[in-house]
Amino acid sequence: MSGTITIRKGLDLPIGGAAEKRLTDARNIASYAVKPTDFVGLTPRLLVEEGDIVTIGDALFCDKNDERIRFTSPVNGCVKAIHRGEKRKLLEVVVEEKANNLPSPNKIDTSSIKEAMLQCGLWTKLRQRPFGTVANPDDMPKAIFVSAFSSVPLAPDYDFAMQGREAYLKKGLEALSQLTKGKVHVSFRPGQKLATQLSSLHFPLSTFTFKGPHPAGNVGTQIAKIDPINKGDIVWTMNVQDVAVLGELVATGVYNPEKVIAVAGPNIKNAHYYRVKTGACLSEIIKAQLLNDSFPKMDTSDNHHESRIISGDILCGTQITSDGFLGAYDDLVSILPEGNYYDFMGWMMPGLRKHSFSRTFLSGFMPKSTFKPLGIDLPRFEHFWRFDTNTHGDERPLVFTGNFERVFPFDIYPTQLIKACLVGDIELMENLGIYEVEPEDFALCEYIDTSKTDIQQIIRDALERLRKEDVG
Amino acid sequence: MNGKRKTENGILSALEKWFEVHEPKGKWAWLGSTYEAFHTFAFTPNRVTTKGCHVRDAIDLKRAMIIVVFALMPAMLFGMWNIGYQASLHATDWPYPLGSVASWIFCFVFGFIRMLPMLAVSYTVGLTIEFAFAQLRHHQVNEGFLVTGFIIPMIMPVTTPLWQLALATAFAVIIGKEVFGGTGMNFLNPALVARAFLFFAYPTRMSGDSVWVAADFWGTDAFTGATPLGELAAGIQPSTSALDMFLGTIPGSTCESSVIAILLGAILLLVTGIASWRIMLSVVLGGGLMGLFFNLLTTLNLPLLSTLNPQLSTYLQLPFYYHYLMGGFMFGAVFMATDPVTAAQTNTGKWIYGLLIGLFAVLLRVVNPAYPEGMMLSILLMNCFAPLIDHCVVARNIKKRKKRAIVKSKAAVQ
Repeated sequence: MSGTITIRKGLDLPIGGAAEKRLTDARNIASYAVKPTDFVGLTPRLLVEEGDIVTIGDALFCDKNDERIRFTSPVNGCVKAIHRGEKRKLLEVVVEEKANNLPSPNKIDTSSIKEAMLQCGLWTKLRQRPFGTVANPDDMPKAIFVSAFSSVPLAPDYDFAMQGREAYLKKGLEALSQLTKGKVHVSFRPGQKLATQLSSLHFPLSTFTFKGPHPAGNVGTQIAKIDPINKGDIVWTMNVQDVAVLGELVATGVYNPEKVIAVAGPNIKNAHYYRVKTGACLSEIIKAQLLNDSFPKMDTSDNHHESRIISGDILCGTQITSDGFLGAYDDLVSILPEGNYYDFMGWMMPGLRKHSFSRTFLSGFMPKSTFKPLGIDLPRFEHFWRFDTNTHGDERPLVFTGNFERVFPFDIYPTQLIKACLVGDIELMENLGIYEVEPEDFALCEYIDTSKTDIQQIIRDALERLRKEDVG
Repeated sequence: MNGKRKTENGILSALEKWFEVHEPKGKWAWLGSTYEAFHTFAFTPNRVTTKGCHVRDAIDLKRAMIIVVFALMPAMLFGMWNIGYQASLHATDWPYPLGSVASWIFCFVFGFIRMLPMLAVSYTVGLTIEFAFAQLRHHQVNEGFLVTGFIIPMIMPVTTPLWQLALATAFAVIIGKEVFGGTGMNFLNPALVARAFLFFAYPTRMSGDSVWVAADFWGTDAFTGATPLGELAAGIQPSTSALDMFLGTIPGSTCESSVIAILLGAILLLVTGIASWRIMLSVVLGGGLMGLFFNLLTTLNLPLLSTLNPQLSTYLQLPFYYHYLMGGFMFGAVFMATDPVTAAQTNTGKWIYGLLIGLFAVLLRVVNPAYPEGMMLSILLMNCFAPLIDHCVVARNIKKRKKRAIVKSKAAVQ
């Protein structure tokens, strides 16, 4: 199967500060962490203590409900800290890298891909839909979806990030195809280099090209357009960089959880790419980005941040502290100015620098990036729009309708589904297609929402409720 | 609270400070909602995102509502002038000759002085109730009444006594909105509830020929000046030209007569994306279709029709576009039918909802002479049916999804 699919509904935020195509090997990263909170619905069972010596691929904790699912250390070193939150909830297991004093790990037997992935912990990078949890090794998914491009604001360019690892990507896709009785679907944007490089694969691969604005690159959008999920279906998804890690595992027997991340944001010093291992501590990288004159100094001693550091994208990433760690599924670190300022009569002013999906501010009449009169490239003022974390208003009941539909490319009624989730009507949720969505699919709805409702949280809560009732 | 980015401007930072210092605490804490309302009026809050999207669109409910108020402005300003103009036409002792600059200004001032108390009463009564309910519920005060309070005086006859206006506003806010939980939860358009209340409670004040033209600055005395709809209901050809109706220089409710002023507002609403173009277009289409259908009936010349109602034939022959120009059709289509809370919420539903509003509005006007203006009742009727329309539209989507699952499972079995 292959084809081109055009997405018309969506929105590309005109935010400036995307990562420059320059790669730095991040060498001075002292510690790494695996965060149980990155994994939806996980109840962890801790397997190590502070001070334990671990090697790459040693389990730090496992899933209480399925002990085969192991969450492993990305480096050799020792367990430095185990952070807990309220009610002793496990938040982070921090491993300090200590090289050269341990024997190099044995090669992993890759005769069974599933066993190999479970053993080294790569399995946890395989997510299932519905619910967004780590895939269950006993399931046979209907299909596996991999998006080979990202359309989020400040998205990393995988053509650049995957340079030199294309062969591993091929191997990884081949390995994935053994995990499903269905197809492995890979989606590209038009004209992507990776697409041509993958064309010479031996096994039949289903490739699609997705045109159009965000969320064209979201795997959820691609599933909905290629082969939507019905009740009872299970599909798996994997980040394209993790597929390359799988490829390397299969090809060499070595688990090397490396990825190239983009560090980007409108106000930072030198946005570019870094090669890190999963779970890397970001403090050094972030310091290098923020310490300049035009940007207020970071004060790490208290909560006095002037900028927000997000592991992931600005629409659905996780806020981390300036000495925080990269999320398990993230390959983008976004840095945004905080928006804790008052705006005098903000609702009345022309608003030249405010971005809005509606055209209720003067800024709405600025030329779009796709606007090219007579094919001429207009100068773009990417830093013109001011993006920060201000909510631009207080929470209100849902009043305006018809806008969510304009950024939501699913055959689903978003407003009705959100309301069904709010009232907790399970049958209605199922009927309206709750199994086809993840919170990230509603990110744009949440962005444009006039009433400032936390829609992603509503969807997550509803999915968690369904998942628990399913289990119990 | 996180570190605040201070405003450079001295006056503004002083105001920021004033609000911070005067945040109600202790025995005044119950005034929280009122304080919040004024604080967020002066400053968009410094709230930052905590979960989900880290950035948010610049629009909020205040912005959306103020855009609607801006869109209502042309109609409001024209309406003020027209109040004075209509008075000058029908008065015998008008102080200025028509056509002079002084009379233009005087007409406007006359209308302004008539409208101002109506606006004041509508806002005072409505906002008092809104604030009281918000305080009672410990909710924030909603911006919905910014628009409702502005519209209510615009759709009343100019001679409406202020106490009736106050009563209608109170009824609309309490029964039309707050009993259902406030803005966003009501199923009837509150401004239309206010009008319907007066229409049925004090019919002589809301219809007939002698309520549309004000006689003096302050009182409720009126001159006789029939609206085109009133004339037609009586079986007479309208005495005003189509151009006058389009411009709005005719008697009618205070601010709904000028189609051109309403269209200016419509342009703003459509350009900003605040109101649904689907609803506006489909209301106009629906009204036009019904008008054309009546025109068709006359050409068929069925003998049955004249036996029904002798006055009907004038109405049936009326060119269909007259319906757009008369009464509150355009005002309803642009500002009332598009109310996002009470309209259908699905895109397909919006088409059906709008078409039916247009159809029923013209049907009521023509066939039922007891209600010369069908628009109000038509919109209220379809407000009631909007949830049903949505239900049917959504049911189709549900059916499609179920069918897809069945096809898949059958394929899997084979």
